[in-house]
Amino acid sequence: MKNSKLFSALTLALTFACVTPAHGAETSAPNKEQMDKLIATLKSESPQKEKADACRMLGLIGDKDAVPALAALLADEQFSHMARYALETIPDPKVDEALRAALTQLHGKQLIGVIASVGVRHDMQAISQLTSLMYSADTAIGLAAANTLGTMGTSTAAKALQGAWANTPAPGHLMYSEGMLRCAEGLSAKGLRKEALAIYDTLADAKGPHQVRAAALRGAILNRPSDEGMTLLKKSLHGADFVLVDAAIRAAMEMPGREVTSALVSGINTYTEDQKLLVIQVLGKRHEAAIALGCLTRETSQERPRSIRLAAIRAQAEIEDASSVSRFVNLMNDGDPEVAQAAQEALASMKVKQADEAIMQMLASNDAARQLNGIELIGRRRIVESMPELLKAGSNSDAKVRVAAVKRIGDLGTTKELPALLGFLNNGKEAQDIEAAQQALVAICGREQNPDESAAKLVDALGSAQTAQKVVLLRTLGSIGGQKPLKAVRAAVDDSNADIHTSALRELSSWKTADALPELLSLTKSAANPTDKMVCLRGYLSWAGDTEMPAAKRLTMCQDIAPLVQQPDEKKLLLGTLGSITSPDAVTAIAPFLEDGAVKEEASAATVSIAEKILKDNKDKDVAAKLTAPLQKAAEATANTGLAQRAKALALKSEGK
Amino acid sequence: MALKKSPIGSLVSKPLNTSPACSSGSQALTRRHFLKHTALAAGTLVAPLFIPASVLGRNGAVPPSERIVMGGLGIGGRGTSDLQWMLPEADVQFVAVCDAQKSRREAVKKIVDARYGTSDCALYSDMREFLAERTDIDALLIATGDRWHALAATMAMRAGKDVYCEKPSCMTIAEGQAVVETAQRYGRVYQTGTQRLSEANFVFAIELAKSGRLGKIHTTRAHIAPWDAAEMTHDWLPAEPLPSKDVVDWDEWLGPCPWRPYNSSYTSGGWRGHYDFHTSCIGEWGAHTFAQAMAGIDSLDKPAIEYHYVNNPTGDGMVTVFPNGVKMVLHREGVWTGSCGMKFEGPEGWVAVADGYTKPEVSSPALLGDFRQIVGDYIARTQRPMSHMRDYLNCIKSRRLTVANPLVMHRSMTTVHAANICMWLKRDMHFDYQKEEFINDVEANRLRSRAMRSPWTV
Repeated sequence: MKNSKLFSALTLALTFACVTPAHGAETSAPNKEQMDKLIATLKSESPQKEKADACRMLGLIGDKDAVPALAALLADEQFSHMARYALETIPDPKVDEALRAALTQLHGKQLIGVIASVGVRHDMQAISQLTSLMYSADTAIGLAAANTLGTMGTSTAAKALQGAWANTPAPGHLMYSEGMLRCAEGLSAKGLRKEALAIYDTLADAKGPHQVRAAALRGAILNRPSDEGMTLLKKSLHGADFVLVDAAIRAAMEMPGREVTSALVSGINTYTEDQKLLVIQVLGKRHEAAIALGCLTRETSQERPRSIRLAAIRAQAEIEDASSVSRFVNLMNDGDPEVAQAAQEALASMKVKQADEAIMQMLASNDAARQLNGIELIGRRRIVESMPELLKAGSNSDAKVRVAAVKRIGDLGTTKELPALLGFLNNGKEAQDIEAAQQALVAICGREQNPDESAAKLVDALGSAQTAQKVVLLRTLGSIGGQKPLKAVRAAVDDSNADIHTSALRELSSWKTADALPELLSLTKSAANPTDKMVCLRGYLSWAGDTEMPAAKRLTMCQDIAPLVQQPDEKKLLLGTLGSITSPDAVTAIAPFLEDGAVKEEASAATVSIAEKILKDNKDKDVAAKLTAPLQKAAEATANTGLAQRAKALALKSEGK
Repeated sequence: MALKKSPIGSLVSKPLNTSPACSSGSQALTRRHFLKHTALAAGTLVAPLFIPASVLGRNGAVPPSERIVMGGLGIGGRGTSDLQWMLPEADVQFVAVCDAQKSRREAVKKIVDARYGTSDCALYSDMREFLAERTDIDALLIATGDRWHALAATMAMRAGKDVYCEKPSCMTIAEGQAVVETAQRYGRVYQTGTQRLSEANFVFAIELAKSGRLGKIHTTRAHIAPWDAAEMTHDWLPAEPLPSKDVVDWDEWLGPCPWRPYNSSYTSGGWRGHYDFHTSCIGEWGAHTFAQAMAGIDSLDKPAIEYHYVNNPTGDGMVTVFPNGVKMVLHREGVWTGSCGMKFEGPEGWVAVADGYTKPEVSSPALLGDFRQIVGDYIARTQRPMSHMRDYLNCIKSRRLTVANPLVMHRSMTTVHAANICMWLKRDMHFDYQKEEFINDVEANRLRSRAMRSPWTV
């Protein structure tokens, strides 16, 4: 209904707020000199383009002085449109005078265009002329005149249109329908509902196409006195023509008055199931709690079909009355899961504070299923006031409730909840408790504007934490980043506990900033075992492989760590990184590995990969020359025939051959 | 005055362009069974009722009599993409295409006939003839160039058709008003082609922004196309020999726009960047991204009311302000790595998304934890499928408002047009959205509409 109401409101607003230039509005001072030049262009023998541009500009800055020159072009097939282009927006009654004069002189397309412009400008003084033009032998002109008359939306225009309708045999009636509908809308907006109704009834009685019948019925319902409108509405809702039922439903949502709601409620049992569904939805849109809620409550009872129950629940939710809250809470336990789900959705959507209170009561209950529903709804409604209850539920004996509550604390909490979360972490009975605490800690710390403060609390907690909890804290510190967490994680690398050591090392190797690089280089040197060394090397080289960093910096990083690379797997990692650096110096750095039997294939592939990129667009002979020897060496080193051929071809290319 | 003459004249023998008399589509609609329609309408007319797939699609086995008979207007590259979404739908029967260009209409026929294994897709080059003759068609896909969107949509709705119209769906604020009025007048279903409103990544970002998890959103950022400029050209390309009317009906192609000599560049996509045909770099993507941004700040029904001019050619960095105080900043590049991006920023975090993202970017990874739930809740609550075309087709059956209904189109396009006008006039603007006029700026108000070339009119 929100959309429907706005849609209707907008339409009404547009009826009056269309972009007609306001006569007599204060205009910005036009550049008179420029305007005079533009007018002179129009009067000259200038090319069509120049005159068209002049019209376009006059549409922006022109005033009454430009009107004669523009009006003179209205009859000109070549310029008539552009003349109107300018005239339509000039806020001066001289324009209307000129257009009215043109109505008596023009023919064909030029006349149709002027008729349209008269409509855009809402020139009421043209109604008489438009009325005559409706009877033109040229039906396109007649149609344009009828539509423009409709745009006027006055009693006089209505009479003209109705007169034409009455004087026309039925097959020709539909020519006037658009104009008549426009006119009826205008009359209705002015409060002339009786006159509007006469038009709608005329159109509704005609056997026109579906869209006209639908438009007419909607208007006929909305513009009748309320009791008559209601009668027509009910009759239409009981009908068998879907097009008209649809129109009636739209009207029912727009009709004002409590009596309309009452009538819909009192007749609820007269409809078929399908019709009742529609009426229930309309009741939801009408927001008349006192009248509709009793009816809707009855329609949610278990003996009703599911579709009716669902519609009634949703209609109640739209009405937004606090009294519905307890019903929704009860219906959440309904045996029909779709009904229970609809009730939960309804409760989640209600804006009344009683919904929050009911949800918090669910959390405070002793029933785990209700508590879980409560926690779910607390999250969806962002009920931060529930934090004390959530903290309490974090120690619940039911694991599902505990875990859900702790995760929700992470969603809604702030650093104020960190001590409590650290408590949950330290007291975590099961892996899922610890995981939930970690998720919550990461979520809260991730939102924190001042991460140093939360980091300090976590670092403090490290001292007294058990192994599993320390691992969680290290991961959380890794997610925060920064100097203090880096220091703490680095210190944990030296922990004698293997789990803590490994966890700290992994955090360090995937640190979110380059601050950890010196530590990673140092630890690569001093690693006590190959696994640790590989972890550090991977972390370090992942930064060297970052293509957003300058190539020279990446190469230096590789060169710094190259002396530490000893095992084949380590060398392959390094070669993979070097192969991503498009530089002759990277090729030079790879060259020694072409003689290493364990990695010469990888070294050859890296050499060829870099050389292909460099030589693709290279015009520097010196750069190319640097690649010749390594490529020849790579061709010899590799056992891969295809790779060797590529290396040889590139070597020749590097020599300019 | 006495009305003695009857205007019956040649009315019966000649189809009229804008009269609803062109359609007797009542037959097409009423042939479907009432109960089916009411059941569907009950589910999705206005409220989020759950409609089982078996009801909407008969588990994919839709009898021919229940199919939506569809036609196309001006289907080129983008329209072909829409068509590829539409044709596989079991309840769609695409029967005819109308295009002023022979090559395009024949290309569409080839696709459609290949899909159905027939040679039945009918071809039209004149829109009035198409609308008048094909009273069997329930709904249209309109994917012409921008210049035709609003006019074609209003003509089609007056003829009783439902309309899916590609973006940007109007060239001026006045055209947008006409689309709203016509859809409301005739009770037509209308969807504008802002398809990201029906894509999970974008829906997640919008719902996250609305949920309060980022705090109260203070800023949203909307992508504008990183090519072209806000200022467009009025130049004419050199005249070329006019092809035969059957190959390119140039007058029909121009439609409501000012006449200019034919040049083949226009008809092969080169119309972009021309003032008469395009809505600039701001409209090119803003037609999408403004609606997306407005959805996340709950302002789909209200356009921006302040526009702050930026002294560059594109509008990059322009700040607009909505009635609820939220700022929307226009960005050409730098915020996203894909196209048509949007970003929402609140005191507790941010979310950003653009085309090509595997998942939205968020200020904290924890925010992505509920991705499936948030999107799932949205689907359950609104009954909107994650397919813009499917939403349109569902709404044709249920008569419910689409996710990108005329109001959404008009308000987001008003923001596009106002931003353009701000750039063209090189000054700050204030817009009264209730009166639909710029405040104390006559020149700006004169740019809210453009006269249409006769005989075209909305």
